[in-house]
Amino acid sequence: MLASILASGLAVGAVYALIGITYNTMFATSRVMSFTAGQLGMLGGVLGSLFMLELDLPLVLALPLTLAACALIGVATEFVAVRPVLKSLDQHLYVLSTLAVALIIQQLTALGWGTEPRPFPRLLDLGSGMGDEKYWLPVATCAVTIFGLEYLYRRTLVGRAFIAVAEDNFAACALGLPERNLRIASYALAGAVGALAGFSGGQLLLAFFANGPLLNFYGFIPVALGGLGNNRGAVIGGLALGLFQQAANFTVGGIFSSVMVFTMFIAILLVAPQGLFGSPSTRRV
Amino acid sequence: MTITRRDLALGSLSALAASSLARPALAQGEPIRIGWLAALTGPSSAPGVGFNRGVIYAAEAINAAGGVKGRKVEIITRDTQGDPTKAVNATQEMISQAKVHAIWGPTNSGESLAVTAIMARAKMPNIHPCVVDSLIDTKRYPNAFRIAPSNSQWDDAVRGYCLNILKTKKVAVIGDTTGYGVSALKASVAAFQKDGAQVVYQSNIDSTQPDMTPDMLRARNAGAEAIVVWSVSTGMDARLFNTRASLGWDVPFVGHPSMASGEIAGLLARPANWEKVYAIGYRSCSYDDKGALPPHTQELVDRLAGKVQLDDTLLWWVAAAVDAVNLVAEAVAAGGSSGEAIIRHWNGLTKHQGYYGTYTFTPENHDGYPTEDVVMSAANTAKNGTFALAPGYV
Repeated sequence: MLASILASGLAVGAVYALIGITYNTMFATSRVMSFTAGQLGMLGGVLGSLFMLELDLPLVLALPLTLAACALIGVATEFVAVRPVLKSLDQHLYVLSTLAVALIIQQLTALGWGTEPRPFPRLLDLGSGMGDEKYWLPVATCAVTIFGLEYLYRRTLVGRAFIAVAEDNFAACALGLPERNLRIASYALAGAVGALAGFSGGQLLLAFFANGPLLNFYGFIPVALGGLGNNRGAVIGGLALGLFQQAANFTVGGIFSSVMVFTMFIAILLVAPQGLFGSPSTRRV
Repeated sequence: MTITRRDLALGSLSALAASSLARPALAQGEPIRIGWLAALTGPSSAPGVGFNRGVIYAAEAINAAGGVKGRKVEIITRDTQGDPTKAVNATQEMISQAKVHAIWGPTNSGESLAVTAIMARAKMPNIHPCVVDSLIDTKRYPNAFRIAPSNSQWDDAVRGYCLNILKTKKVAVIGDTTGYGVSALKASVAAFQKDGAQVVYQSNIDSTQPDMTPDMLRARNAGAEAIVVWSVSTGMDARLFNTRASLGWDVPFVGHPSMASGEIAGLLARPANWEKVYAIGYRSCSYDDKGALPPHTQELVDRLAGKVQLDDTLLWWVAAAVDAVNLVAEAVAAGGSSGEAIIRHWNGLTKHQGYYGTYTFTPENHDGYPTEDVVMSAANTAKNGTFALAPGYV
């Protein structure tokens, strides 16, 4: 039982963490919580299955194509649902606009791909039982992604520009940073990270149009737990959520496990409204 | 020439008499219009496409044989896309504009729940295959007739197979978290307990839950001898079968027809994981251990050969649609095409043999499908839309 909780919990938790990072990446440069994050994860699974099983492409082609397609959808989201509402962030119109795009993505996928889950291929054909690749691949992908993003943000000029825009949009513009282009790039990056979540977790979640709302929901919890914009917090929050959820499945089972998860979520937010690893926001008075 | 008031009155009376005399002649020649509420496109269109093949075949066969007392059958099809709103609009159009004589469909319960009351108000003869029990109520909807089993009949068949054929006394009942899954599980558990069986584990599982190990382990530890599944989710079904195999457990699964869906094959880790899975099926569309269908069904299959594709659909969808069109045509032949006459005829049917079932309706019972013809099929044995009978049937 413990092995199952660890293997399955960490795997699902890693997928949630990657979706959390997708939320954060989009939020960093736009201050917008884009509810397309889960749909990008869903598309990662669907496109991966499409390229590898339907079109018979090898992994080395299918993965970059999936990432590129989702990056493009990320950019399209920025143009269609984020840019028009940036001037009135305080009215939170982005909730509606990004949810609308998410619904469009989901319905188009249902019509084009179908409403039944379809298989996702084995990628490396490594491991079996609790050591099967479907359990450790999402965890490995999550680790590589977080290290890659840390490197990008701390060691490269583009990454530092991202952080500058995230820290103070107006100051970054005043310094001559191309804020709009950086925002577009961050949405492309978020699209690719979301796609990685769905692609690496495809064997667990299958290629299924209904995974979008699930990932949107459970991917948001690590963001809230870890602190908005905090990728390390999202990873810890995601893994903890996966483990807690799987443990709840074993102990209380069925729909009650969701009740347990959200009870814990609300309890933590009551104690630490800014998230476990977030800092309280300051307001100039 | 001047027209007096007397001339005008006489002329009007003559015209009225002529028009009323002409009406029966017109009715004799006019086609029998059957409204067909079909979900032909959209997410859940597979059954609609199968039913549609049967509808077209039956109408063409009747018309090729000269129609019903010289009247052609005309099918008025409206694609509802599985959307209750579109079904409501199409129903109203069929009643008020197309002026159909009877309506076949809708073929899913969500749409049917939305349109049944509308048809009842218009006293429109309606025949459908939807399973939700409340859709048939002879007091509120005396116009509505069901030619497929209800949920309760499915439940009876599953319970009967578990208790009488598999001889299990301890069952686990699993449903998904949809409204259907929750209500079906509740009804199933109550019925098992009423029959003296022990429900050792019950759970509603989110069909997108990636790992079914926790629930399967709990069912095994509770001593389940059979697992009853009420879900339309093929993903959840496949995960349950794969988990059973990974646990090295050989407990049988019994339940919802979705467990026999062809899409499951691609989701299984190994084809063998689909063994010992028994899904709801129908005796008329099941073949025996020699591979033979019942003679009456074989006759239909022979007639359909070369005209209707069966390898990508289910035979019962096609056969039920053929029966529905035939039932309307036979009612018109027997008593005319008024709504009252069609309903009166259906209310008097006793053991009326169709291809899909042998139907019996009375004014007090519009659930026409016999429960004994609901059987379990071996889920992994699909062949041209039919399945092998599950072990234990004679």
